[in-house]
Amino acid sequence: MASASIPVYNCSNNPLENSSSQNASRESLKMEPLAVTLLPGEERVIDKDIMYICPFSGPVKGKVFITNYRLYFKSADADPSVTLNVPLGAIGRVEKMGGASSRGENSYGLDITCKDMRNLRFALKQEGHSRRDIFDILFRYAFPLSHGLFLFAYLSQEKYEENGWSVYKPMEEFRRQGLPTDKWRITFINDNYELCDTYPTILVVPFKATEEDLRKVSTFRSRGRIPVLSWIHRENQAVICRCSQPLVGMSGKRNKDDERYLDVIREANGTAKLTIYDARPSVNAVANKATGGGYEGDDTYQNAELVFLDIHNIHVMRESLKKLKDIVYPNVEESHWLSSLESTHWLEHIKLVLSGAIQVADKISGGNSVVVHCSDGWDRTAQLTSLAMLMLDSHYRTLRGFQVLLEKEWISFGHKFASRIGHGDKNHADQDRSPIFVQFIDCVWQMTKQFPTAFEFNERLLMTILDHLFSCRFGTFLYNCESARHTNEVRSKTVSLWSLVNSDSTSYLNPFYTPESSRVLYPVASMRHLELWVTYYIRWNPRIRQQQQSPVEQRYMELLALRDEYLKKLEELQLTDSSPNSSHLSNSSAPNAASPTQHITHLHTPF
Amino acid sequence: MEFSEHIKTANVEDVVLRRPFHPPMQGTLCVTGHHLLFSNRDGDSSRLVLLLLRNIDAIEKRPSGSSGTITLKCKDLCVLQLDIPGMEECLNIARSIEYLSSLDIVSDMYPFFYRPLKLSLQDQWGLSSAEQNYAQMEELQDRWRLSHVNKDYSVCPSYPPAVIVPHSIDDETLVKVAKFRQGGRFPVLCYYHRKNGMVIMRSSQPLTGANRKRCREDELLLQAVIDGSGLGYIIDTRSNQQAQQARMTGGGFESKSSYSCWKRLHRQLERGKVLQESLIKLVEACGDHSHSVDRWLSKLENSKWLSHVHTALATAGLLAECVERDGHSVLVHGSEGTDTTLLVSSLAQLILDPKTRTLAGFLGLLEREWLLAGHPFQQRCAHSAYSHARLRLEAPVFVLLLDCVWQLARQFPLAMGFSEPLLLRLAMEVYASDYGTFLCNSDQERCAAGVKERTHCLFQFLLKPSERERYSNPLYEPTELAIWPSVQPQSLQLWRGLFLRWTQHAVHLEKAQEELRNLVIECRGAS
Repeated sequence: MASASIPVYNCSNNPLENSSSQNASRESLKMEPLAVTLLPGEERVIDKDIMYICPFSGPVKGKVFITNYRLYFKSADADPSVTLNVPLGAIGRVEKMGGASSRGENSYGLDITCKDMRNLRFALKQEGHSRRDIFDILFRYAFPLSHGLFLFAYLSQEKYEENGWSVYKPMEEFRRQGLPTDKWRITFINDNYELCDTYPTILVVPFKATEEDLRKVSTFRSRGRIPVLSWIHRENQAVICRCSQPLVGMSGKRNKDDERYLDVIREANGTAKLTIYDARPSVNAVANKATGGGYEGDDTYQNAELVFLDIHNIHVMRESLKKLKDIVYPNVEESHWLSSLESTHWLEHIKLVLSGAIQVADKISGGNSVVVHCSDGWDRTAQLTSLAMLMLDSHYRTLRGFQVLLEKEWISFGHKFASRIGHGDKNHADQDRSPIFVQFIDCVWQMTKQFPTAFEFNERLLMTILDHLFSCRFGTFLYNCESARHTNEVRSKTVSLWSLVNSDSTSYLNPFYTPESSRVLYPVASMRHLELWVTYYIRWNPRIRQQQQSPVEQRYMELLALRDEYLKKLEELQLTDSSPNSSHLSNSSAPNAASPTQHITHLHTPF
Repeated sequence: MEFSEHIKTANVEDVVLRRPFHPPMQGTLCVTGHHLLFSNRDGDSSRLVLLLLRNIDAIEKRPSGSSGTITLKCKDLCVLQLDIPGMEECLNIARSIEYLSSLDIVSDMYPFFYRPLKLSLQDQWGLSSAEQNYAQMEELQDRWRLSHVNKDYSVCPSYPPAVIVPHSIDDETLVKVAKFRQGGRFPVLCYYHRKNGMVIMRSSQPLTGANRKRCREDELLLQAVIDGSGLGYIIDTRSNQQAQQARMTGGGFESKSSYSCWKRLHRQLERGKVLQESLIKLVEACGDHSHSVDRWLSKLENSKWLSHVHTALATAGLLAECVERDGHSVLVHGSEGTDTTLLVSSLAQLILDPKTRTLAGFLGLLEREWLLAGHPFQQRCAHSAYSHARLRLEAPVFVLLLDCVWQLARQFPLAMGFSEPLLLRLAMEVYASDYGTFLCNSDQERCAAGVKERTHCLFQFLLKPSERERYSNPLYEPTELAIWPSVQPQSLQLWRGLFLRWTQHAVHLEKAQEELRNLVIECRGAS
């Protein structure tokens, strides 16, 4: 394991000309020769000889294969052996580089911008419009929706043992939380997505609120996203409710039904003052009045306090991640790494999101109900509620529970995955795109770093989720909301990501996981304790040490296996011991000899 | 010396002690020759807090009405506060602390008074002798010999009595070479690479001076090191310019014309004041909790601490690369050869040599490459990051070493037989200790002061079964391979365990580490 990746300590003007360091850096680029096993339903579209302009080891001659799912490149030579395996869904932008008359080596070709923190450049021969066919094909297949084609998820013929679509059943999840209660009821008012077309069909609302009340409230909330229950604390019955902003507008409109409705939420467990967390900076909330939105004024909502959490909007986050990409790809900014990192503000945004969620979790632990919203209630709101739930409820920290959390707070409540990611869409400059979900997964990663035994899943799960957020191989993250998924028959026509994960769940388990049901996790949201997720954001750089599996995890698994083997042997020994024909053995075990039974007592470790 | 002359007020009642992670505590404060003792009797349970005076780096007193407050900033970076009723008592105590925390005479220091029941002064002091080390390395004995030329410390006062040199170089020659090297630190062997027979040598700078003096014996010695293997490398831990300038003050470097088989590489490692100031800035940034405009990352960068870590690891990597990959012997030196030289040579050994990565092997490395090799611990560690005293010869070179080792251990979590708590303990012991190990500036001084007879040895203690368990790495899986650290800035991290140890948040992170450790130990124990 030690020499896996070998850094280079020599500067360019090094006197060790024949040094092996150059070979070394190439060596570390070497990946297992990946046999292009096509997925069921995947079809080859075009092959072409091409030059890959590798930012780490220079131009590499080879062949590119494009299928309806991926771009695959393999170098012609074994040294350096370079392969690329990029799902077309991860491609954000394809451009022609240089023209027929461009001078200079490798100046004519394709420039591909990916959504997963890398860019790819390919060079071709200038004569005979050699790039035309590959450009056209790539452009069509990378952006199928812009060309009347299907997303790969609809073409895939993959079969799995587990059916991931059965992971989340809303009624089951609400029952697990102990719902309904005498204060909270389940309503099917949105069965046909009529009350709110971006909400799920099954909602939990205050018992006291009638369907008529819900309709009235929906007129006062942006896009009809009324306050509904996301999570309830089993003991103190405090609840997390989520919604969109109230439609206060410039004139400062009031809505008695909305005011009464929030007060009913407050009353349900006798919360003295309902806390409304508005995720936005207060200036943004005020500015939203101009477009008909706004926030709950304290003069109108008497038993409520409003807290702004200062989290910026999707545009700020998009620019922040773009800046981060600029300093890590292809070359990592070295001379002023920390201040460059600071100037992207990425970690600062992470800090604000996490500390917002901590405040929510803390209020709930104290027995106070809260309402969370931002503008539309599908970006920052989802981040806050799901992170708070992860802190409060250990079920969501299991492999299955985490899937439920994503299905519930993100997918069913209408985080606009299609718009934020731009699945299959060529419009790379779309202002609706934003890495809100990536940022959320980063926050989860920060928590797993700080609580290494509290999560049943490992880093690999988080990476897999982010890879398939873009890949379009599974239906899980497609479309903006449940109603759109329903119309497009996602469940019957595509495979769920959880089918892949749950059919191979051992790969995604954290061996250090120690269940602790009642513990509330409060991560440290101080800049001093947040880290850049190097293994994700800088994973394409061969100089950054990458490990397939964390060596610590791996070593621990080995130790666990050893222990199990040992236990098994002991058991066998005991069996032979107690069997009648070996009774002479058990007789011989004098009290002072180390008999197996003596061992077994301290072997029962709480795993 | 009588400590009592410096203790006007020995006892004060109703003192309030405030320290990180604990609620304020009221009790009795007592000053002794070497300790502050704080006790609180709360019903049946009594609590005792013992603070070694030597650990106190800075003291600030602030009167408030008839009482006073003393803030103690410790060398282990902890900050404590004492609220003392009575102005006079407060001033007396402050004066005692000021005096007793900065004793200069070695034999007055606490290790000479520390007499725990479980240890005996008859126990072995130190881990192994030069003779033992030499005897263990049979494969080098036909080309290298153990020289006792320095047995009375007359050739080089900062070297140990016995050193390893090329067989063909006799003691007489060594004496001449010593005259040509600053402080008499002639080139000696510190590591022999079994795989290819290449070696790491270290020394101080040659005294070529402005008129490019030469020394035939010095050239002979270096020639004998490479012995026909063609080419050797000299890693100079100064920039080319610094090396050139050193000639003006009598120092210098090995010129191409006089040492034709040696190629010089310059890698500038900061030391002395620059390093000390870097530590001060870093600690300041870590303790600064003005949350409004944080700019933490900029402050961290401005302290330059991580770039010192980077340079040290990168230079050690370069050295190891020369030896292992390119098959050349290397001589490393800066000016005196007692600071950055040792830093680079010991890190390179950790990269190359699996034997130095066990608990005992690592302590052995520190003994050879730092204690016996004459790192002036007493001068370098007189004060830490909080002190208001004018800086003299302080420099956290050893702390930098520990940080680099921590980075290695973080990147190779299975390769080291020891764990972070050991590094933390060493970082504390080097500034203030019950043990005599880090006293004085050289082996000669330690012998003269009777350290080996009259104090206990920290390294011996750390290898006792009870301690050994606490400081070993349960995940340890020995590897024969070299461990090449990644030195990209993204691969280097702030050593939170040390620098953010006393901040609010560190507790649960530390707990999590402990939890992981216990899980592994439990699992290990069962198998």
